[in-house]
Parts: sequence; C-alpha cells; structure tokens
Amino acid sequence: MKRPTSILAAASATVAVALLAAGCSSGAGGGGSDDGSVTLTFWGSYGNGGNSTQQDALNKTLIPAFEKENPGIKIEYVDIPYDDLLQKLTTSAAGGELPDLVRADLGWVPQLADLGVLVPLSDKLDGFQKLADATYPGSLSTNLYDGKYYGLPLDTNTRVLITDQKALDAAGMSAPPATFADVEKMADALQGTGMSVFADGGLGGWNLFPWMWSGGGEVTNDDLTKASGFLDGSKSVAAVQMLVDLYKKGQIPNLITGNQGATGTSDGLPGGQYATILDGPWMKGIWSGQYPDFQPIYAPVPAGDGGSVSVVGGEDIVLTNSSKNQDAAMKFIEFTQTEQFQVEMAKTGQMTVIPAFADQQAAIDPYYETFSTQLKTAKSRLAIPQSSQVDTILNTELTPAFEGSTTVQDALTKAAEQIDALLADGK
Amino acid sequence: MTAASSLARPAPGGPHSRGGGVRARRSAASTLRYAALIAGAVVMVTPFVYMVSTSFKSQAYVLTVPPQFIPNPATTDNYTQALTTQDFGLYFLNSAVVAVISTALSVLLSSMMAYGFARYRFPGRELIFRILLIGLVVPAMMLIIPQFVLAKNLGLLDSLAGLVVFYVAGSLALNTFLLRGFFEAIPEELDQAMQVDGAGAFTRYWRLALPLAKPALATATIFTFLATWDEFVWSLTIINSPAHRTLPVAIKLFQGQNATQWGLVFAASLLAVIPVVVVFLVFQRYFVQGLTTGAVKG
Amino acid sequence: MTLTLADQDVTVPEADSASGTARPVRPAPSRSAALRRVAVPYLFIAPGVLLFAVAILYPIVQAVTMSFFDWKIVAGAVSEWVGLDNYARAMADPHFWQSLANSGIYMLFTVPPQIVLGLAIALLLKRKSPVQPLFRVLYYLPVVTSWVVVSLLFKYLFADRGLVNFTLGDFLHLMHGDVSWLSGRWTALIAICALGVWKGIGWSMMIFLAALQGVPQSLEEAATMDGAGRWQRFRAVTLPAIWPAALFVTVMLVIGGFNVFTSVLVMTGEAPADRPMSSSPTCTRRRSPSSTSATAPLWRSSSPCSCSCSP
Repeated sequence: MKRPTSILAAASATVAVALLAAGCSSGAGGGGSDDGSVTLTFWGSYGNGGNSTQQDALNKTLIPAFEKENPGIKIEYVDIPYDDLLQKLTTSAAGGELPDLVRADLGWVPQLADLGVLVPLSDKLDGFQKLADATYPGSLSTNLYDGKYYGLPLDTNTRVLITDQKALDAAGMSAPPATFADVEKMADALQGTGMSVFADGGLGGWNLFPWMWSGGGEVTNDDLTKASGFLDGSKSVAAVQMLVDLYKKGQIPNLITGNQGATGTSDGLPGGQYATILDGPWMKGIWSGQYPDFQPIYAPVPAGDGGSVSVVGGEDIVLTNSSKNQDAAMKFIEFTQTEQFQVEMAKTGQMTVIPAFADQQAAIDPYYETFSTQLKTAKSRLAIPQSSQVDTILNTELTPAFEGSTTVQDALTKAAEQIDALLADGK
Repeated sequence: MTAASSLARPAPGGPHSRGGGVRARRSAASTLRYAALIAGAVVMVTPFVYMVSTSFKSQAYVLTVPPQFIPNPATTDNYTQALTTQDFGLYFLNSAVVAVISTALSVLLSSMMAYGFARYRFPGRELIFRILLIGLVVPAMMLIIPQFVLAKNLGLLDSLAGLVVFYVAGSLALNTFLLRGFFEAIPEELDQAMQVDGAGAFTRYWRLALPLAKPALATATIFTFLATWDEFVWSLTIINSPAHRTLPVAIKLFQGQNATQWGLVFAASLLAVIPVVVVFLVFQRYFVQGLTTGAVKG
Repeated sequence: MTLTLADQDVTVPEADSASGTARPVRPAPSRSAALRRVAVPYLFIAPGVLLFAVAILYPIVQAVTMSFFDWKIVAGAVSEWVGLDNYARAMADPHFWQSLANSGIYMLFTVPPQIVLGLAIALLLKRKSPVQPLFRVLYYLPVVTSWVVVSLLFKYLFADRGLVNFTLGDFLHLMHGDVSWLSGRWTALIAICALGVWKGIGWSMMIFLAALQGVPQSLEEAATMDGAGRWQRFRAVTLPAIWPAALFVTVMLVIGGFNVFTSVLVMTGEAPADRPMSSSPTCTRRRSPSSTSATAPLWRSSSPCSCSCSP
C-alpha cells in the first residue's frame, strides 16, 4: 500500500494541474481558423417546441446557400429555449461571450441596445437605409433606440381574430365579429351556452393594445415621453371597459387575469370553450399537428372608432459588438433580407417583413393574406428598454379592475403614472 | 447517529419467543402497515401515472373532461418525436457522462473532507466547516454571473468539464455535511485498532470509514446523481454547441414559444427519469446493509 | 441558519482527541513524520476546500460585492458604488415583504408535513420485506423527477379542468363547480404546498431510512423486554438516535423552502409579457428591477433578471 499522504498529495496536485491547464486553454473561440475562414455564431429560437420545420429550412437550405455564395464564412446556428434566451444573453453579455448574431424578440432590442452590447446598424451597415425602407415601418421601428437602428426585422407577425364555424353557429352569426358592437352582440347570443365570447392569456400590451388602438385610443404620445392622458384617455378606457363588462358577464374567462389553471387559448378555441381569440400565424402549424380536424377562420381584429388596429410581433436580427467578424456578420444580415430567405422562411410560418414579398407569401398559403392586411395598420409596442415592465404594470393595475375592486379609469391612470416614470428613466 | 454506542455493543441473540396473542396482534399490525403504505403509494404515484398516460395521448386528448386515465386513442408519437427530432441519444450520453463523473468526484472529495473533519482536530477546523456550510444556503441563481465569468477565465465555457467542475463544487457542502456525522458515528476503537496494526490514515479512511458509511455514501450518491442529472440553468448558461447539450436543456426545447405539447414534454421527461430510477435502485440496497452489518459484526 | 449545527455532532464522545494523530502510538517519531501527521487532516480536506474556494466562495464574494454597486452587466463597464442602496430599495418594496411572507407560509405548511410523513414512511419501511424496495421506489419517484416537470404536472392537475377539480367535484361531489386553484393567492399556495410536500416526502424518507439503520437494535429489544410500548420505545430509543438526522432534514428543508422558485413561477407565473401561450413563464419573462425575491438585493444587482416569487 502506498503512503496515504502521497496519494493525497497526488490527488490534490492533479486537481491543481487540471485547473491550471484549464486556465491556460482559455481565450478560445475567436471564430477564426487556420484556413482563413470565419465561423459566425447565430443564436435563436427557431426550434419552436419540437416542430423542426423552421430549423430545417435554416440549417438545410438557407445557411448552405449563404455559405456557397460567401466562401470562407460559416454560420453555426444554435437553438435556445425561447423562455431562457434573454437570460442567457444577459449572462453571456456579462462575460463578454455573446454570439455574433442574435434573432432577438423585437421587445428585447432596446433593452440589449441599452446594455451597450449591440452594433448600431444604421451607422455601420452600408446600404442600411435601402434595406430598412423595404420593410414594414411597424417592424422596423422596433429596432430604433436613442436615434439609431440596432437591427433589422427578420420576421414579423401580428394578431388577428380567430374563430371557427362551430362558434359562429353557436352564436347564430354568419360571419366573424367585425366590430366591437358585433363582439358584444355575439356575447349576448352565447350567454348560457357555456362558450365564452373571447379569451386571452394576459393583460399586457400584446393583449390590450389592439383593443385600445382599435377603439381609437392611444398608449403614449408620439415622442414616447408621456402615457398620462393617452393610456388613460377616454377611448382607451372605453375599450378596456368593454372587456371588463364582458368579463363580469362571464364572457371572458379569468385566463385573462392570469389564472394559470385556465385552459389556454390554443386548446380552448378548438376545444369549443372559447368562441374567438386573438392570435398569430404560428397557430396554424400547431393546430394542424394537434387538432387535425379543427378549421380555424381568420378575420381582422374587430374594429372600433379607430378602425382595426393590431399589434406587431416578430423578431429582429442584431449584431453584437463582441463579434470579431462584423463584416461577415453584416453579409449574413443582408442575406436575411433577400427574397430567398424571406420566402423560404414564410413557407415555415415565419411571415416576411418585406411587403414586396407579400404576394408570394399569399401564394404559399392564402390565410397569410389576413395577416398581411392587418400588418399594414399594425403598431408596435413601446420601444423602450423597460418594455416588459410596462406589461407587469398593466397586469398588476388592471387585474383589480377586472375583479371589480377598482374602476378601469383609476387603474389606467395609476398605470399611466408609472409608465410615465419609466419613459422619463429611459431618456 | 448515536450508532456509535450500539455498534460497540455486541449484537443481541436470536429473537425471543413470544406468545400466540402477540403473533396475532403483529399480523394485524402488519396488515395495517401495508394498508397505510399502499394508500400513501397511491397518492404518490397517481400524478405519475397520469403523466405516463398523458405521454401516450395526442394533444387533442390531453385536456378532455372527464380526464382519461387510459389513453384512447393511444399513440406512441410523442416518444417517436422525442427520440427523433433532436439528437436525444447524444444528449442522454452527455448527461450520463457528466452525472457519473460529477457524482464520483463529489462523493470522493466530500468523503475525504468529511473524514478529515470527523476524525481530526486541527486549527481552523470549525471555521472552515462553517464557511463550507455557507454553500448550502446561497441560491445558485445569485452566483450565475460571477461563476460564468470565472468559467470563462478558466476556459471552461461550452465544455462538459465546465459542468463537472461546478457541479462537483456545488455539491461538496451538502455531501460533506451529510457524511461528517456518519464518520463521527464510527467507533473510535476500530480506528485505533487499525492504527495499532500499522494502517496509515488513508488506509483507515479507505478500508474502514468508507465501507462503514455505506448508507450515507449511497444517499450522497443518489442525491448528487439526481442533482447533476437534472441541472438546467448552469448547463443552459455555459453550453452553446449542440454537441455538448445535456438532457434538461433538450427537454426544455420541447416547450415551444407558442404552445406546449404536454404529451411530448412528459414523454421526454419520462425517458429522462429512467437513469435516475436505475441509480436509485442500485444504491438503495446499501441502506439494507450498511452500518449494522459490515466490519463491526464480522 | 444557525451554525451551531456544526457542533451538534453530539454523537462522538470527544472523538477528536482520540484520533490517532493526537496521540502517537508508535514510539520516537522523526521530525518529518511529525510534520506529516500535522499535515494529514489538511491533505484530506485540501482538494475539496480548494475547489470550493475557487468555484463557490470566490463567486459568493463577488456577488456580495456586486450588491453594493449599481452593477453594469456588460464586461468592462464601470459600475457605480451605491452602498446599501439596493438593500434599502428591497426593504422598501412591498413585493419583498410579501414574498418573504409567502416563503414563511410555504415553509410552515411544507416542512413539518415532510418531516412527519417522511419519518412515518421510513418507520413503516424500516423492516425488511420483499416488497420494501418497491415501496421505496414508489415514494421516491417524485424526488427524482425534475422540478420543472413536476411543476408542469401539478399545474396541469390543478388546472380548471384538471384532475383535482374532476376528483373533488364530479367524482366525490365535495364541491360544486370548478375552482380556479392557481388564480387566488391562498388556493395557489395550497397547490404549491401540495406539490412541495408530495415531492419532498421521498427525500426525507431517504435520510430517515439511512438514519434508522443506526438505531441500536439492542436497545429496542431491551426496551421491549422492559415492557415499553411502541410509542415509548419510539420516544426513548428511536427518536434520540435519529435526532441529528431530523435536524439535518429540518435545516435542509427550510433552506429549500426559502429557495422555492420553479414551482411558484411555473404554477402561478403572471401573464407572460409577450406571447400568450408559452406555458412556462420563467425569469426572463418578468424582468423588472423593482421585483424581488427573498434574496432580493444580491439577486437584483447581480442579474437584471430578477423575479418576484409571490404567488
């Protein structure tokens, strides 16, 4: 038997050596390699819950096409769970280990820009203006922060009204509700059927702004400096009041006030619990897999005094300033704006951000038409670093209004005051 | 853990004879015991059974009223999809490699530490032990950013080694705490006897303390394996290449941005539970042996 | 947590002084041998302590330092010293106190049941029998399943149209109509505590099972001979023997209770900010510097992603 102490000494030495060796090997991953080619890392959430069509289009068609056109540049796409992407980006930013390119939710761009980790494309990318002008203004505006554009729209979407024949029959209607008045009429017709007229999963901007805008209300002034007088203006209040009235009649389920136990909209509509929902173009793919017999009907957001105005969603592509190969990365950004990229991704449910390709997109599937039309008037949410706090504020303040312990006016006034403070902070 | 006294004492003789009335009472008690155990087991297992059942349903049947316990129609699509859409086998292997190495290293290092703390009195002993205990109370989330920067400086990002190093470090405190008490319960006399025979410190640790602490080592092994097998946040944070991805991250990828396929998530999770159950089955038998058998009686 | 726990190793009657190194057994140790003996305990703990210091302690020190700054996330950016500002802000935040209260309630309703039930099951399973391993596995199954999965599972069970409502309403007729368990503070706490207990029983059972191996059987037999009843035997023999284990379980469960996070977030997470249907709103969803957790100040400053764990 060896002397125990020497064994221990050997063991601790091994640990120390391992740590040292590990320490010496740091600093890898510059993206360069011996043959002069560069590898760009691209993070995103194309994975979409086990549905691999988007990832396949990217990895098997688009990236090879780009690499063929641009010898010496390799793209490595890494799929990251959507819920955790922002957290991972933040931690990586702290370590200075961000990827070259990120497919960022449009709400994150001002936030990442505020951290100082993004390259302002409007300064650095030649021909930026031309690319920018080709996109939907609502999508483009989500990249604007402090006077500069930090990204380009990659894909877009918006919410439209979705219903089905079963629901229309139950309400005795021949067409989906086109106006606020129709929604209220439909609610009365559905009273006692056990079906709610409308369901939504929260009270954030994504959920409420379409109703406020369509009702003729505003969220803030145009300069993004004030919410008071806009968010709590009479038309915004009236739009929310309509939802509260429907909620009190039992025609909107408490899913909207954050009951995690309520049936989600994607199951409640095909399941016959909900008559209408507002949702995006991705639902088609989800339903075709999960509810093959369900035949959704798509229609514009019900119109009020302001017309039919929905909210812009989607993703932007951004370039981080820790990228060591920014020129190559900008080539890929340009590639994402081409017809080839946009149309190929449209086939997988990612709507194009370029109106010029809308016809081609409609040819892929006619149901895109409803979304393209809705996008023409759709607006984006507040492009401020704290945009997610706006959602928290709205949810917190409005839940009591739905539950009846305060009025909509008071709730929105309180919310507007807090959002004013955020807007002032952001400057 | 006062086992010390009992172990030093010779084991009692055979069972004492008892009257028939006692036997009847015993069998009644035994019936009652099983009834209670079965009732408890039903409560524990029902949610699990429901999960298994859901993993064989397609989404349209997941939320039916009344709930289905026996899926109709049943489908294995979820399992097929779980196994084929991602490189599930590779992630499984990555998780297994990381969990096995981390568990082995952690149990080795922490048992050495625990032995040092239990058997020796040296300057700084309690201070070091108390500092170690801080590791038990600090939430992992708090350390993510400093640890990430550290891992970067050590060149451990995007590698399985980076997972192992921090998993082992993270489990040391709990395991050392757990094992120290058991080592202290081992009678001092045995140690002294071995020492008289000329055994060195390491031999006494390896040949005497470890075999006698089997139940505790088995517990530490099971806990550590489970924790490392399951760990999500750190793995998500430092691993970038799909080639190094571990199972919990892969499972999370099944929860989409726009909808969750319950059946798929449950199917993938059930596949992931298998190794932990195996580890548990293998190591739990050491509870039955352990202190009462081992060197003391033999 | 009280560090006195370190000293409650009660068990060994002055074990340390008896350890070999203190009293040389063999005669005339050389100088180097003496040195080696002094070094032995340090060599035992060195590898682990070294790793712990580098990978845990050093990050802790950094995190604490960060909590005194208005920390700029990005590498290289200059952060501003704000002293106790972050702490003051947390103290002034009602969310902080509410989440603290919730943590307290959670512990009150999960820790004792886990100890009592875990011990009860361990006692029932102590005796050898052919089916014993099967029961152990069944009781341990919830422990081995990840928190995310069991949280999703319980969310699904406690859903408005879930199994719990079905069982209580349509099957047992104990209540009328469906309860929205996860929408109210108290009903949500019930669901979360039910999950905590269900998931934790197997864990404490394990520790107690291991500890029960150390209960002196001779004493039990002797107590039986003396005519002690079941309960008396338990109090006089078993309980003192497993007391350290019980303390250990208590401490670990309290720590775990304070860090309960996943289940609360998954089961009651507020309406996601963006896409409505993601069913696992995590941390990232609720980025807001004003929100807090039990470890608020440290957390807040070390990551922009902080979440309030108030159901």
